[in-house]
Amino acid sequence: MAWNKPLPRPTSISAPYWDGLKAHEVRLQQCEQGHWLFFPRTHCPVCGSRSLAWRQVSGEGKLYTFTVARVPTLPEFTDEMPQLLAVVELDEGAHINTTMVGVEPAALKIGQRVRPVFDERPGSLTLLRYTPADSGHPGVISGEPAVTEAVAVAAPQAPKRKISCKDLAAMRSLISEAFSGWSNQVEVSQQMIDQFAALSGDDYWIHTDPEKARRESPFGTTIAHGALVQVLASRLKMPMDFEIVDFVNIVNYGSDRLRFPSIVPAGCKIHGRYRIKAVEQLKSGVQVTMEIDIHVVGQDRPSVINDLVMLYM
Amino acid sequence: MGLQGQAALVGAAQYKPEKYTSAPRMFHLEQVADLATQALADAGLSLADVDGLITSGPQFHEAGMFVPAMAGEYLGVRLNFAEVIDLGGASSVGMVWRAAAAIELGMCDTVVCVIPSRMAPTTPDDDHMLEVMRASRFGGHSTRFGAPEAEMDLPYGHMAQNTGYAMIAQRYAATYGWDAAALARICVDQRFNACHNPDAMFYGQPITVDDVLASRMVAEPLRMLEIVMPVAGGGAMVVTRADKAKSCRHRAVRVMGAGEHVHSKSPTYAADMLSTPIGPASRKAFAMAGLKPSDMHMAQIYDCYTITVLLTLEDAGFCAKGEGLKFLREHDFTFKGDFPMNTHGGQLSFGQTGSAGGMTQVIEAMQQIQGRAGERQLARHDLAYVSGTGGVMSEQGALILQGA
Repeated sequence: MAWNKPLPRPTSISAPYWDGLKAHEVRLQQCEQGHWLFFPRTHCPVCGSRSLAWRQVSGEGKLYTFTVARVPTLPEFTDEMPQLLAVVELDEGAHINTTMVGVEPAALKIGQRVRPVFDERPGSLTLLRYTPADSGHPGVISGEPAVTEAVAVAAPQAPKRKISCKDLAAMRSLISEAFSGWSNQVEVSQQMIDQFAALSGDDYWIHTDPEKARRESPFGTTIAHGALVQVLASRLKMPMDFEIVDFVNIVNYGSDRLRFPSIVPAGCKIHGRYRIKAVEQLKSGVQVTMEIDIHVVGQDRPSVINDLVMLYM
Repeated sequence: MGLQGQAALVGAAQYKPEKYTSAPRMFHLEQVADLATQALADAGLSLADVDGLITSGPQFHEAGMFVPAMAGEYLGVRLNFAEVIDLGGASSVGMVWRAAAAIELGMCDTVVCVIPSRMAPTTPDDDHMLEVMRASRFGGHSTRFGAPEAEMDLPYGHMAQNTGYAMIAQRYAATYGWDAAALARICVDQRFNACHNPDAMFYGQPITVDDVLASRMVAEPLRMLEIVMPVAGGGAMVVTRADKAKSCRHRAVRVMGAGEHVHSKSPTYAADMLSTPIGPASRKAFAMAGLKPSDMHMAQIYDCYTITVLLTLEDAGFCAKGEGLKFLREHDFTFKGDFPMNTHGGQLSFGQTGSAGGMTQVIEAMQQIQGRAGERQLARHDLAYVSGTGGVMSEQGALILQGA
């Protein structure tokens, strides 16, 4: 899978830094007066010297500050939720923006010793992450980004209530303003989007051309088809503590309302939840309107709102 | 040296904040003309009096360069002083002192400072719209080749404002301690003020400390109600020569002191992220005015987040460093209280009208000094401290205003 997060573009000035990370070394510039600097520059911001040399340092330091971001700063970062954004103060004094890995949010402590972790997953470049000095986390994260398998949400422990579709009062008791809990999470990969494009014939570049999307799309990355995210509802196992029984057939009548209020960038995880909005007795059976909302994990605004209409006959 | 109080704020106008989705769309040139003429009418002046113009530059819709010339041409004014400003939320404070300095130097007589902040009508092929969407996606962080933030921040997910302010707050907590309820009081008292301001976004919606503490955690330790809501709006202010100000409609509000300090783009690269630029900016402003924090009758403090207010109270000298939480616990910040602050509701409750958000604080100070603040009018209303904050507490400015 392609790395869907923003990538650095090394310049002629910063290239030695990125080359260093690739070699699993942290390299900083130092001026002839001994000042260490970060980020890479053409001069020393302390004394103005233009006489700078690249030097390898340990990369170790301490946690200067951090935050636990509960809302993704960009949808592409939902796989990290919560994001452990941090500033590390290297032993040389330089401050570096990074993220912490291999540590529980509650165990983060400003001032704690940290060591570098070289993250090779982006492929073309290596990123510099940090972990507490005493953590067991390996010093390198290698290879392809792990494709997260759908994580099953803990199923309700209680046996499911059986509700007869012929018992209108019981069926109506399912109507609720409140949404259910969340389903499992599914990653919407570029591969999935490409397959859907081939199948549906909608191969517009905004979905299928990551390079062009990076350059020209207002979203900066490819996005899933709304219709794809809608059908992925079938992969989302909604937590239901009831089971409707006593019917011969269920007819899917379609949708009363289908909206795509926000995008799903490629590589994001989605999850869903539902609520029963209406139950009506028709001549032919009982009609249930169920709203299914699908969100990018961590986003308040849904990506799909679908008022599904089903007839239990 | 310094401003001599020979320039004064005499009038202003601003759009009532509205949600972006429901606010009218207007070209920025149209907003400039609308807001400028309203502000001039408020002052009792006309376009014929104007010979200076300061606009916001970077987000101006119709042009990326030659902005003051285009806006001046549209307005129909000839300019002896033409300027754009690019200091984010510190822009309005920065506009006022630049206008006052230009007037005192004799460069011009009357300056209109204007920031349009309603969205403009767009067409699908509008390249500016694409730029705005891209920029807003990355929270205003530059994505351009060679920009340090594109290279060193974005790949890790460091972007926009929330997490930067949260990291400052987290370091504050580790250094001086934390009291979430004390910070929530800022939101609650300002909401009380907003409930006496029909123009405020959250008018008629009082909140409690418990509401703030129960609101969603966004970036620890900052919760939803401690973070401003960006809305559409915009404003204009008129600054003129003090002698000319005497014949204006309202009391002249003299610009007695000003300061500005920019210490970095990202707080990560500041020497000490808890020592904010409002410190040096405020010291200069107070020294220029020959006044001290305890002389002030009100403080209109830029409040994009609660942590901004806490650090401004400390660094501007209203209390000692590290004493801010105690100060919050010991004072009442409503317009009825012993330390009237953000009497219009602050941006937390009035709404943050883009880069014009900081202008709501300047305008509130002006209207209070002029005795035009309606039911939230202060009894003592001659002296105001106003702060502006841009970026992540990386560029800040302060004004000392005094009624003539």
